[in-house]
Amino acid sequence: MPNLLAQGAAWLEQQRTKHLTTTVTYVRNDVQIAVPATIGRTKYEAEDGQVVRIEFTDRDFLVLAADLVLNGQVTEPDRGDLIREGPREFEVLDWRYSDPYRNTLRINTKHVGAVET
Amino acid sequence: MPVITQIADAVVATLNAATLSLPVTATRAYLPRADVADLKTLKVTVVPSSVVNASASRSQSQQDIAIDVAIQKKPGNEQNASFDPLLALAEEIGELFRAKRLTTFPLAACIKTEFKTIYAPEHIENLRTFTSVLTLTFRVIT
Repeated sequence: MPNLLAQGAAWLEQQRTKHLTTTVTYVRNDVQIAVPATIGRTKYEAEDGQVVRIEFTDRDFLVLAADLVLNGQVTEPDRGDLIREGPREFEVLDWRYSDPYRNTLRINTKHVGAVET
Repeated sequence: MPVITQIADAVVATLNAATLSLPVTATRAYLPRADVADLKTLKVTVVPSSVVNASASRSQSQQDIAIDVAIQKKPGNEQNASFDPLLALAEEIGELFRAKRLTTFPLAACIKTEFKTIYAPEHIENLRTFTSVLTLTFRVIT
């Protein structure tokens, strides 16, 4: 018997990708690909150290796991990879699957500035 | 101008005049604030920290004035080779002041250098950013 919940989740993810995404560029070293991504969360935060205060923009990107293909292979995000959204560049710090069926990656990033040309 | 800010300015002047292993442009700030996006270049911030007043003798007063020097940069990667030069710079800055008087404020003699935060692991973990804070304590007897 087919797993209806898994099928439903996969269908929902296809719909999200079809209707709720913008194209971003995923970069690892010299390799870059265009992938559809949904902006999952954008939050401006500040961290207080003992003396210094560092401010940053925290942003999550939702990407279909099957879309992250680097060098011809489906791959997982890696700390230090970059995601370019228009002129802005975000650095990957962490990631996890956002659904129990591992259809979608939730990639946690921080804004690190403008894309260097 | 308060003595502590005069000393902080003298620290800035000393740092900017020094030849260090990495080029440094220090600034003084009351609220050292940086956006992580601006830390691709080295940022050195001098912050007045604390003053302790005491009597040196019947006629003289003694002030121990602490100045924090924050060294921050976001290296391209998390390899030791990227962080080592930054920690070395922090050590160099400590050596620059250790047991010396400030050129532009010679009343102040550095009596202690202390790493308040030799480096902040949480900044590396959460922000991939290097932060080191060095506290310089100057004694002024007047």
